[in-house]
Amino acid sequence: MNKIMHTIEPEELMAYLDGELTADRAADTASHMKECAGCQEIVAGLQSVSRELKAWKVEDSQTSIPPVITTALADNSEKSQKTFFVLRQTTWLGRHKTFLAWAGGAAAILLVSFGTVSLGGRNENNVFSSVGLDLNASDRRESKVLSAPMSVSKPTHDKQSAELQTYLVPQHDQSAAERGVTANAPMIIRTADLTLITKEFDKTRTNLEAILKRHRGYIGELKVGGSTGSGRTLIATLRVPADQLDVTLAEVKSLGRVESENQGGQDVTSQYVDLQARLANARNTEQRLTDLLRNRTGKLSDVLEVEQELDRVRGEIEQMEAERKTMANQVSFATLNATITEDYQAQLQVVPPSTSTRLGNAAVEGYRSMVDGVVSLALFLLSNGPSLLLWGAVLFFPARMLWKKLRRSFAP
Amino acid sequence: MLEFQGGSRPAFEELFARYRGPLYGFFRRRLNGDQRAEDLTQETFLAVIRAADRYQPLALVRTYLYGIALKLLAAERRKRAQDSPANEATEPSTRQATDSVLWIRQALEKLDESDREILMLREYEQLSYAEIAFLQSLPVNTVRSRLFRARMALKALLEPGRTLSETAAASESQEIAKLTRAEGEAI
Repeated sequence: MNKIMHTIEPEELMAYLDGELTADRAADTASHMKECAGCQEIVAGLQSVSRELKAWKVEDSQTSIPPVITTALADNSEKSQKTFFVLRQTTWLGRHKTFLAWAGGAAAILLVSFGTVSLGGRNENNVFSSVGLDLNASDRRESKVLSAPMSVSKPTHDKQSAELQTYLVPQHDQSAAERGVTANAPMIIRTADLTLITKEFDKTRTNLEAILKRHRGYIGELKVGGSTGSGRTLIATLRVPADQLDVTLAEVKSLGRVESENQGGQDVTSQYVDLQARLANARNTEQRLTDLLRNRTGKLSDVLEVEQELDRVRGEIEQMEAERKTMANQVSFATLNATITEDYQAQLQVVPPSTSTRLGNAAVEGYRSMVDGVVSLALFLLSNGPSLLLWGAVLFFPARMLWKKLRRSFAP
Repeated sequence: MLEFQGGSRPAFEELFARYRGPLYGFFRRRLNGDQRAEDLTQETFLAVIRAADRYQPLALVRTYLYGIALKLLAAERRKRAQDSPANEATEPSTRQATDSVLWIRQALEKLDESDREILMLREYEQLSYAEIAFLQSLPVNTVRSRLFRARMALKALLEPGRTLSETAAASESQEIAKLTRAEGEAI
């Protein structure tokens, strides 16, 4: 493999397939692979190896916890209880621990049963909260146990998008999800351009703002301009919720005469999923670096190197997060570029300027033309004077001789 | 794991349900006999239960579990080597193993032991490079290099249309490479 030709090492291609590259390096690798047939061949080879290895599946029969483990769990639990009771062996309670264990168990069952019955339908005022018994605690623990390994496990490249769709979008894109942006739905950035001509410019502007307010949109940018002798023009970039674009467009069109209309949609689903995958990779890298920093000891230079790498990865994460939010925002809110021009009607100018104004204007014009003339003459002399002097000097003596000859020949 | 350490039985059940299959697969692909794989899977969980008091969350739970599994596997292999050294080299496949699986097993057996372990941890256990490095006490870059080497060697061994003599030649070249590397390391 020629290293000069290839900026990506073959090992990096493999790491890319395994989702082990940093976000920027993964992007470089992806773009390089599109162009390089040699690298595509290596990647195909690596993928074929993985595919063939996957053929070796292992049958799995048992799913329940075997008795030996159940016994060990019970022993472990008993050991914990023994530790507790050892402290009380000298007391009467310690001597009757078996009886107490049974009695305590029965009491706990009664207590839980009573709590379940009396709490049916009462979620807000938990009567057991006053004695510190939180019935939802076990549920919370279970959900935590279920979710924790998923959040820290490193997804492989193949299943990244599926996991991202399931976990990352709800966790990190809550605002976007609330607006209807989900990873399952296609992500389309919708845009529309509209040019209108209106006779009542001021009223149109007021109505435009009312329409935006009604459809929960906002003005991204707005410019109003115009010069004497022509109508005013309003150029606005409006952002409206994607699902409200059609209604908003119809209402804005009713504000005047439509000169032109253009609608477009850009599918960014693949870019979004790709960005999510890169983000997940970067987060995994950050997690691993953090673990490394926390758990490993080493030379100061190594620690500093890891910290620098961690800073770089965090910077990338922030950048990608911003990019992801921008994309989600573009999908959630469609862009409507509206240009509204006033239908201008020229008016007759009935009041002419006064005589003194006209005289003053004439004097200013006269002075200006005089100055312009002097300046023009000076400029002419400065630019052409040297040439005129040279040619004058060259032609002076021949002309003088010719003049003298002519005078002699015409002399009587 | 921390929930289980705190005494939660459901937490252990969740742990068992999630990692039993992968751990069984880990042992099954590396050992002779499904019953022994089953036993070692149970022993892994028993070790988790016994060491629950001393557990410290230094790594991911699965890394912790595979760390225990690797230790049990090494002990098992040592025991087998002592009992019957001749049988250690071959580790028969599953009873209904297909030709392709046998072909893969044979190809894997021809790889360097360390390279094979790294490759299998990556391909079957789906561990990250950092996790493998942690388990094998190797730098991450070494893991990456060895993994690449193992994959390329396996690709050569699994090439369709390869004859037995070619496979043997490839195996021989692997052995030569192994020896060269060992010499290099010794130097």
